[in-house]
Amino acid sequence: MEKFLDFIVRAGSLDRRYIFVVIALVVMLPLFFPLNLPIRPTVSSQTIYNTVEKLESGDKALVSFEYGPSTKPEIHPMAVALLRHLFEKDVKVYITCLWPDGQFMAMEAIQQVAVNQYQKVYGEDYVLLGFRPGNEAVIKGLVSNFRKVYTVDSQGNFLDDIPMMNGINQVADFDYLFSASAGYPGTVEWVQYAADPTGVIMGTGTTSIQVNEVMPYVQSGQIKGILGGMPGAAEYEKLIGQAGIGTSGMDAQSVAHIVIVGFIIFGNISFFVERRRSKKY
Amino acid sequence: MNGSEIFGAWVAVFLTLGIFSYLYKDNPFYKIAEHVFVGVSAGYWMSMFFWTQIQPNLFGRLWPVPEGTISGFFMRTWYGIYNLFGSILPSVFPDGGIDKGHGTHPHFIYIIPFVLGVMMLLSVVSKWSWFARLGIAYTVGMAAGLRAYAFLNSNVLGQLKGSAVSFVGLDWFSLTDASIINNIIILIGTITGLLYFYFSKEHKGNFGKVTRVGIYFLMISFGASFGFAVMGRISLLIGRFTDLISYGGPTYNYASLWVLLLMVILLAVWTFKSEKKVAS
Repeated sequence: MEKFLDFIVRAGSLDRRYIFVVIALVVMLPLFFPLNLPIRPTVSSQTIYNTVEKLESGDKALVSFEYGPSTKPEIHPMAVALLRHLFEKDVKVYITCLWPDGQFMAMEAIQQVAVNQYQKVYGEDYVLLGFRPGNEAVIKGLVSNFRKVYTVDSQGNFLDDIPMMNGINQVADFDYLFSASAGYPGTVEWVQYAADPTGVIMGTGTTSIQVNEVMPYVQSGQIKGILGGMPGAAEYEKLIGQAGIGTSGMDAQSVAHIVIVGFIIFGNISFFVERRRSKKY
Repeated sequence: MNGSEIFGAWVAVFLTLGIFSYLYKDNPFYKIAEHVFVGVSAGYWMSMFFWTQIQPNLFGRLWPVPEGTISGFFMRTWYGIYNLFGSILPSVFPDGGIDKGHGTHPHFIYIIPFVLGVMMLLSVVSKWSWFARLGIAYTVGMAAGLRAYAFLNSNVLGQLKGSAVSFVGLDWFSLTDASIINNIIILIGTITGLLYFYFSKEHKGNFGKVTRVGIYFLMISFGASFGFAVMGRISLLIGRFTDLISYGGPTYNYASLWVLLLMVILLAVWTFKSEKKVAS
């Protein structure tokens, strides 16, 4: 027993680089050898799905891209899944970006979904309005007068020349609002400056770390549903029946979590054994 | 797959592995990746801000393409300034004015943000750096005014409404929906959590016991945050690994494998030399 406890104490002071190697292995192996673990949609993901399901052909959805390459693995899969659902339902999609890198994330998602998969027409089925700096001031501007913030789209076309921009003068003209957000400015600002003042139904997809911050708005009904990180994306992919990057990453995510929980438990046991010994002597 | 895409993949692999190499220890590869990231980000952001806001929305409003010929002394002088700028930077100030859908008459009110912006840039000149305070004061004042109402409406009133839970007409317990038990937890958590931040009374006796419950709720919240943070970091790691795996294929000439091999060899040499240097 004493030898075992010695081992635990020694293992507790293991060089952290060994832990990095173990984590790298447990993340990488399921990517090569998928386990196909089951994915069950949570209520918040189901709420977003149900809300989008209720939209009708020709309804207008404003989708805002507020993330960049650094958070792409978490947000991009859900943005792609949501666009698939919207285009499947023939909803008109208007894309804005509050982050400069968001414009390129949006371009990539559009190319993949609107152009390659659904062959949608630019200016009739979707429009990429592009990035505008100014954070919440941009949202405030869009709520009062859309055309003061955007006179041209991301390609330099005048808004008046884009057919699907007819009748769009403010945020209240949309039927649905979705923020794919990785931080500030993002979900919270859209709630404060757009969804709450106008009453437009809003859903969001955030990084995992933001879920705790955003959840109170979901609980109070200010946001209708949230997709949290890669699991949120995987759940949405499951709901729309189109597996994507989110689904393929979930095996690695689950295995890594089990290993990390194991490390935490082991580290705590080691800590308590060491503390008991130091008290004893 | 064209050459530039393959080259891009090699650069992405090098930068990814360069950043990962910090897990071993601080080294030149990490330094290169870090500096490239900071430099490229700053340049990219500046360029995006300029071409999506300053050029089209500020200069585009100050010097839109005029209707017909420019007449009057003032307007000729105004567009004379524009032409002067245009002779220096023709790509920013093209001939005849900037056409970004802001009408045909200059919006002179935009001179104010233009001047405030120039004042903020003056912070780099020590003698005139005080000008920057005016620009900053405007920005801070505007942001405070803009945020005050939004916070009051969404965070105070909205959250108050959200916390005002019902105990009537609900099931006793539900794992996913609102229920009496869940609403009791929300009520207790909200009240005890708020009381924990009440410092006008010492946290002793019955009051101390109540605030201790508040601490437990806070700890559970922090635990959930930690769990979500771990989940997020693992997702990012999966994202990078997915890219590294795809870049390690024949399409990209096995970029991940070659760069990894080269980096490991060079790191080993570098470590060996540094240790030798320390020993001597």
